[in-house]
Amino acid sequence: MPNKKRDNIFRAIADPTRREIFHMLVLASAALSINEIADHFPMSRQAITKHIKILNDVGLIDIVPKGRERYCYADPKPLKEIHDWVMYYEKFWENKLNLLDSYLKEKNKKGN
Amino acid sequence: MKDIIKKEQFYQFPISDIWKAISEQEEISKWFIQADFKAEVGYRYTFTYEQTKVTGEVLEADPVYNLVYTWVVGGTTTITTVRWSLKEQENGTMLTIEHSGFEGYPKESAVAMFSSSVQGWDAVCKELQHYLGEQ
Repeated sequence: MPNKKRDNIFRAIADPTRREIFHMLVLASAALSINEIADHFPMSRQAITKHIKILNDVGLIDIVPKGRERYCYADPKPLKEIHDWVMYYEKFWENKLNLLDSYLKEKNKKGN
Repeated sequence: MKDIIKKEQFYQFPISDIWKAISEQEEISKWFIQADFKAEVGYRYTFTYEQTKVTGEVLEADPVYNLVYTWVVGGTTTITTVRWSLKEQENGTMLTIEHSGFEGYPKESAVAMFSSSVQGWDAVCKELQHYLGEQ
């Protein structure tokens, strides 16, 4: 997958409709056609197709044509990887901020 | 999930002590990370953390209040940013750390460097549902 596809993931999932489309595909654990997806939303098929394209551009949805329909699959891998990084650094910084406190206390004791 | 991590902690120490601890390489090396560092705009620092090197450039150095540098993990090209902000308070200092720019990481698949466990598809979906539920 070209790197460019993976850009702007945060912008892609910032939109509630796109989050819902993605969520629907994750829960379905199966491919859904664009028509099936569009049926769930009170907006035009064209608008839904646009949202799906944005999700496809960042690699969160794969689109596979079958006959006259196009089917969509969720691919959560890009999100999972960001999630892992964020979780890692959450712990990392928390740990470091606590270490700083211990360090300053220790240093202060020695100084007195 | 968000593209920024923000942590705040209060220390019962003067602001100048905190500033020294985050900006002088001898002090940084004692509590945070093995450091070749100078709090000067443009300085290209190197941190060594276990087997990993973190490099970056100092973007802001405003003693004793703000220190900002880029944070690039060795083997990747994604540039994240770390911002330390200090605020004087009664009896101490409030320190805020903000780390941003994670959206670039997936294209590197560099998470493997820090996380060796491979989770199955079910676990991925569960985690995602949890995440989506939080929105």
